[in-house]
Amino acid sequence: MAQTRGEVLQGTLDLIVLKTLDALGPLHGYGIAVRIQQVSADLLKLNQGTLYPALLRLEQRGWISSKWGVSDNNRKAKYYSLTRSGRKQLLAETESWERMTALMTRLLGRAEGA
Amino acid sequence: MTWLRILTIRIKGMFGKRRRETELDTELEAHLEALTGENIRRGMAPKEARHAAHREFGGVEQAKELYRERRGLPFLETLFQDIRFGARMFSKNPGFTGIAVLTLALGIGANAAIFSVVDAVLLRPLTYRDSDRLVTLLHDGTDPVSVGNYIDWREQSRSFEAMAAAEYWSPNLTDVDSPEHIPGLKVTQNLFPMLGAEPQLGRVFTAEEDQKGAEHEVILSYRLWQRRFAGDGKVIGKAVKLDGELYTIVGVMPREFRFAPFWSTHTELWVPIAFGERIHNRAGNSLRIFARLKPGVRLAEARAEISTLTARLERQFPGTNRDVLVTPLMEQVVGKIQTPLLVLLGAVGFVLLIACANVAHMLLARAAARQKEIAVRAALGAARARVVRQFLTENLLLTAMGASAGLVLATWGTHALVALSPADIPRVETVTIDTHVVLFLLAVSVLTGVVFGLAPAMQATAVNLSDVLKEGGRGASESAGRSRLRGFLVASEFALALMLLIGAGLMIRSFFALESVDPGFNPHNVLSMVVSVAGSKEADPNRRAIFYQQVQEQVRAIPGVEAVGGINHLPLAGDMWGWPFVIEGRPKPRPGESPFAVYRIVTPGYFPTMRLPLLRGRDISATDNATAPGVVILNQEAARTYWPGEDPLGQHISFDSGDPGSPTWLTVIGVAKNAKQEDWATPPYPEAYLAAFQNRDFLGAAGAHGEAMLHMAYITLVVRTTRDPGALASTVKNTVWSLDRNLPISQVLTMDAVVAGANAQPRFEMLLLGIFAAVALVMAAAGIYGVMSYSVSRRTHEIGIRISLGASRNEVFRLVVRQGMALALVGSGAGILGALLLSRLMVKVLYGVRPIDPITFAGVTVLLTIVALAASYLPARRAMQVDPIAALRNE
Repeated sequence: MAQTRGEVLQGTLDLIVLKTLDALGPLHGYGIAVRIQQVSADLLKLNQGTLYPALLRLEQRGWISSKWGVSDNNRKAKYYSLTRSGRKQLLAETESWERMTALMTRLLGRAEGA
Repeated sequence: MTWLRILTIRIKGMFGKRRRETELDTELEAHLEALTGENIRRGMAPKEARHAAHREFGGVEQAKELYRERRGLPFLETLFQDIRFGARMFSKNPGFTGIAVLTLALGIGANAAIFSVVDAVLLRPLTYRDSDRLVTLLHDGTDPVSVGNYIDWREQSRSFEAMAAAEYWSPNLTDVDSPEHIPGLKVTQNLFPMLGAEPQLGRVFTAEEDQKGAEHEVILSYRLWQRRFAGDGKVIGKAVKLDGELYTIVGVMPREFRFAPFWSTHTELWVPIAFGERIHNRAGNSLRIFARLKPGVRLAEARAEISTLTARLERQFPGTNRDVLVTPLMEQVVGKIQTPLLVLLGAVGFVLLIACANVAHMLLARAAARQKEIAVRAALGAARARVVRQFLTENLLLTAMGASAGLVLATWGTHALVALSPADIPRVETVTIDTHVVLFLLAVSVLTGVVFGLAPAMQATAVNLSDVLKEGGRGASESAGRSRLRGFLVASEFALALMLLIGAGLMIRSFFALESVDPGFNPHNVLSMVVSVAGSKEADPNRRAIFYQQVQEQVRAIPGVEAVGGINHLPLAGDMWGWPFVIEGRPKPRPGESPFAVYRIVTPGYFPTMRLPLLRGRDISATDNATAPGVVILNQEAARTYWPGEDPLGQHISFDSGDPGSPTWLTVIGVAKNAKQEDWATPPYPEAYLAAFQNRDFLGAAGAHGEAMLHMAYITLVVRTTRDPGALASTVKNTVWSLDRNLPISQVLTMDAVVAGANAQPRFEMLLLGIFAAVALVMAAAGIYGVMSYSVSRRTHEIGIRISLGASRNEVFRLVVRQGMALALVGSGAGILGALLLSRLMVKVLYGVRPIDPITFAGVTVLLTIVALAASYLPARRAMQVDPIAALRNE
């Protein structure tokens, strides 16, 4: 059960992270976590620690890049930003996500206007 | 290509761990602090804020672990970890490691060395184009063919794309600093194109073969070109003097080119053959025929055609076309050496298996000692597969060390093998440790590591946790399964060692049977050398007899020389010619059934020099010269075959078979003891010794056998000395050169060396098999000793109980010995069965002993039993001396 949820979360988390970086520009891990929590209005309960392996994965794929910098409160922090191929990936995934949600919505009988 | 990028990043991720860990720590810590700060702002107490931050963050260690797994390649990292751990274990036990690595290195190295020979000699194709389509056509598969037959076959057969012929020709290279007798071939012009051989310089032969006069061209081998012409690039077009005639150099073959691949393997030059008048000659057999099958024609079809064709020709020209066999060229090259090499390869395979069994046993014992470690690992959550994996990694590490040491041994062993190998192994000069051999070594090593390592690893990890931990690792009796495995290993070692020993025993018996064969003559203190007169002023038929006589007289005068003689071809080392003859007063024999004898021409002095006894009649003397009636001496075999129950002395025979006019009759004046001829192990053929100074062939006076014999412009001197014959070699040579400085002298050999050379191959095989068997015996003995010692040490407790319950010391001794002997007996039984099955494969390499030789079988079994007894003796003594009180108190 937990595994199934994890799997769903994985893909979703990737998309969320990419979208966040697209919307807000370079952010550190904490910033991303805060943003996710704000947007999801606590609907999505995220173990913030799991964000880091996900960031590593995205970076290995070349979708985001990282750079050490200084945070607002003057601390060393690692900033992540979207790369060009990350932007492409975001577009592709957004599209497929929309297709999927449209399909699911129709399938579950709650199409718009119904 | 994303995966490649990811792989690269992850490989990089395996390095610089400390820095990456610090960075990760920093990043996570920053996150936690930010969370904590936020919580404090919301009004939490610092401590509480920190706790809440951790709750929100989730498990820090889990996150790090996930991160690490993704950062590098966990599979490789585990592997390195296991290797590091294994290396530490091994370096802590240098004794164990040393013995195991040495055992494996011996096994693997010996296999690689023998394989390098098998690969170069048997497996690699010949270096001609599509060499598997090349065949030879020879009488009985080995004997030469007449010119007439060659022409008939070439013109009338349809199965072959091309058919070429080669004839031995060994001219003197003169007009240079040091005259030399060079092994060469006369070949038809289509030979090189048929082989697909391209010259490195110049061209191959182009002229039509029968164009008289066009035959004065020569192609050099790479070696001759380097040796005599210093690799001169402008050598093409230059003239050289061969046997006194000028030849133009038209080509140089590449370094790797060799022809012929069998029979005349050291050929250094090729000239075109001109058949001339011999084109209709169906009697003088001197050609070796090589052919290439037409595309699509199978060997069986070619054989069928040749058999029909030769049957027809045989009816037309009776006695000329018998038993013509089509043989693949590769089979000609490797046929004789195949079985011995495969026997040796099998033998080293056995050695490796024994080595594996020994190492497996050592690992089993070590695994038993590590049971507690394994149990602790399991208790801490290691899955069985993970522990097996660690064991296998350690085993592969051990094998890798063994294989590296083995490679060193193999390199060294290959050199030794090539140096020791008899000269007549084809292609042995091409033996090297190449990629084939290294691949073989790798495959063998991996297989070895798994074979000896898997069973102990499975056994070791199949432990019941609580049992081991409860017992506290003390010496409980072993599990039944493990001691069964151990027993199986020792019994197999014995079986394998027994088979090897029987193989070696058979070879040794066979070798001594060969050694005890009487060569007929006495080879000790005899020096021989070939003096060649071709192309010199001594070649003149009017001078040759005088010159040969002078040489003999002068050499005879050297202090330390006891007797001197001469012969055309030295037994065992030289060529061997057979010739048909007729017996006066007998009806004309049916075609193909003429009496036949090995044709030797000797000077007076040959028989006493060789100490080859005359059983009847008289020796050839100086008065048997050109003006005296012809004489001949026969060997016993000729007398027995052609005059059964009669006296051959005084009978007349003639070798002038071709000419029906008035044959030159030779009177049989003596019968000599049978002497070895071409081959040590072959029983002698009928043989005839003609008198040199009345033989026109030998003296170059265009004798009865015409052109085929014209190139017999040499004499083999044999010199009996009163001391080390080798020491006199240069004195004898200088004496010959004092008569004519331009004569090439070659094949300077002692007769002892000739005899040793004739037995070199069986000696080589015996030596190698003997070494392998000795190694196997030592390993098997070490195996049974190890197992018995180990078993006694594990059973100290049990033995203590037995003794305290009243078992006598002798009973304890017998108990241990009985156990050892039982293993040895089971192993020997299996080994004898195996040997009964396998030894028949050795028939081809054995001489004078049957493969199922009761003496060898019994002797080897007794030897192994004694070894098993000895190996059990020490552990049994130790068992006897167990102090029951100490053993039980040890609880």
